[in-house]
Amino acid sequence: MSTPTVDIPYLNISDPSFAMQSEELRNARAASWYARTNYGFAVLRYDEVSKLLKSPKLKQGSAQWPAHNGVHGGLFYDWWTKNLLVLEGEDHHRIRRLLNPAFSPRLIKDLVPRFQALANELIDAFIDKGECEFIRDFAEPYATRVLTILLGIPESEWPKIARLASTVGLALGVTFKRDLDKVEAAVAELYEYADELIKDRQANPGEDFVSRLVLASRDGDRLSDEELRNALVLLIFGGMDTTRNQLGLAMQSFIRNPEQWGLLAERPELGAKAVEEVMRTNPTVTWVTREAVEDFTYQDLFIEKGTTVHLFTQSSGTDPLAFPNPEMDLLGEHAPHYGFGGGVHHCLGHFVARADMSEALPLLASRIADPHLTGGDEWLPDSGNTGPTRLPIGFTRRS
Amino acid sequence: MKTVDVDRSLCDNHGQCAIAAPEVFRMNPDGVLEYEPTFDDSLLGEVEEAIDVCPVQAIFLKD
Ligand code: HEM
Ligand code: HEM
Ligand code: SF4
Repeated sequence: MSTPTVDIPYLNISDPSFAMQSEELRNARAASWYARTNYGFAVLRYDEVSKLLKSPKLKQGSAQWPAHNGVHGGLFYDWWTKNLLVLEGEDHHRIRRLLNPAFSPRLIKDLVPRFQALANELIDAFIDKGECEFIRDFAEPYATRVLTILLGIPESEWPKIARLASTVGLALGVTFKRDLDKVEAAVAELYEYADELIKDRQANPGEDFVSRLVLASRDGDRLSDEELRNALVLLIFGGMDTTRNQLGLAMQSFIRNPEQWGLLAERPELGAKAVEEVMRTNPTVTWVTREAVEDFTYQDLFIEKGTTVHLFTQSSGTDPLAFPNPEMDLLGEHAPHYGFGGGVHHCLGHFVARADMSEALPLLASRIADPHLTGGDEWLPDSGNTGPTRLPIGFTRRS
Repeated sequence: MKTVDVDRSLCDNHGQCAIAAPEVFRMNPDGVLEYEPTFDDSLLGEVEEAIDVCPVQAIFLKD
């Protein structure tokens, strides 16, 4: 182990006021490719994040979360410790192979007209008012109803699904232990939904997404009913708040960059590029957590087995060493961002999220001009998954 | 016979192809993709799946 020759920056990442897009972080990144934190290391630059994200010496770092919170059994525990995100090696790959075909980009293309109709329906409901609460009136119903469309659940069920998913989400918070009863009840209810869906599609298989999961098989292997329901709950849980938050952040990015909004309105074919640029410069998943599976040395840093390593997404996506012009630019050519993670745990739902957001953003831009904050916005902290929980905006109707 | 080609300027070494079609694609110990351009016809289904799942869509079939 070598002694660092430069002062290694320190970041307090669990301080609620810790800011990703800050002078403090830019200075740290200019000084060093990594920082020490109150919770392992943070990797700040693009090249290093890119390499470590795919390193076989690191595994996904959230498996022990329930245990760290003193939770060692129960429905949530069983679900969490068997879900794709925390499985590793062949156990992970086997489930991923069986889930993959349902997520094929070719099949997701067929859903695009429904995404467009949904976006227009939501915009119709507020466009004459000249203002809206963007999360309540667009981002949340859009993100949730896309999931119900994908899963073939009646769209009218969306408020209930949203409520159950955010209750399970309490398991990620500091009050996990206190909320355990509520979390357990919500997992039980989501399981009932999932079991009903599975039974229905096993009896009446069609061409839809859940039927494809139910029928998925490879080399004579298939998903058990328990694996299916675990996966369905993971999709609801991993796909909803992420998309809602990312859409809220997209609106923030365009409010800060009005000329880019105008460009998108004129050129809707830039929708896919808009999603990439928003996620590179303003990602909801602010870091991806990894844990060292063995002792190893990377560049000048000795990383001991069991150490937590946070791979920073916004910081790497705007690293001047990789992006000489890091500002959001829909016409620029940029290296890929890591807002969907990377390596074996690369987001399974990214084709869905990319397809739905790249329809929503140009439709919004083509119908509302000059979006601006009107006050009263509320935000999640910057650690982990961020975004606005309330975003009142004003605008003018585009003629 | 079909062969497979990876555009190295796009490939970002995520290794999803190696999960989908392990007999054709593999990640070396440094985490870098290695692959066989030619493969047995019986593996065509797996290769097509690898093409689908590649996050950056860097894999192409050639006749
Ligand atoms: C903008 C929206 C989304 C963002 C920003 C996002 C981001 C991510 C990230 C960063 C990871 C990797 C986590 C890690 O490696 O620790 C991930 C994994 C995952 N995501 Fe997404 N996601 C989004 C939407 C979705 C959707 C719509 C679905 C499902 C329909 C989904 C399902 C999953 C699953 C199942 C995994 C685990 C994959 C594995 O471990 O193999 N995500 N996502
Ligand atoms: C499936 C249900 C999920 C549960 C119960 C869950 C659980 C957790 C837990 C326990 C944490 C807190 C870790 C900490 O603060 O140290 C966390 C944070 C996080 N989760 Fe999830 N997660 C889920 C799904 C996902 C998915 C699918 C993604 C990908 C979008 C994701 C991305 C993240 C990220 C990036 C963080 C912050 C970094 C961290 O892991 O510490 N989570 N999650
Ligand atoms: S899945 Fe795509 S990006 Fe990943 S290693 Fe294979 S070809 Fe490269």
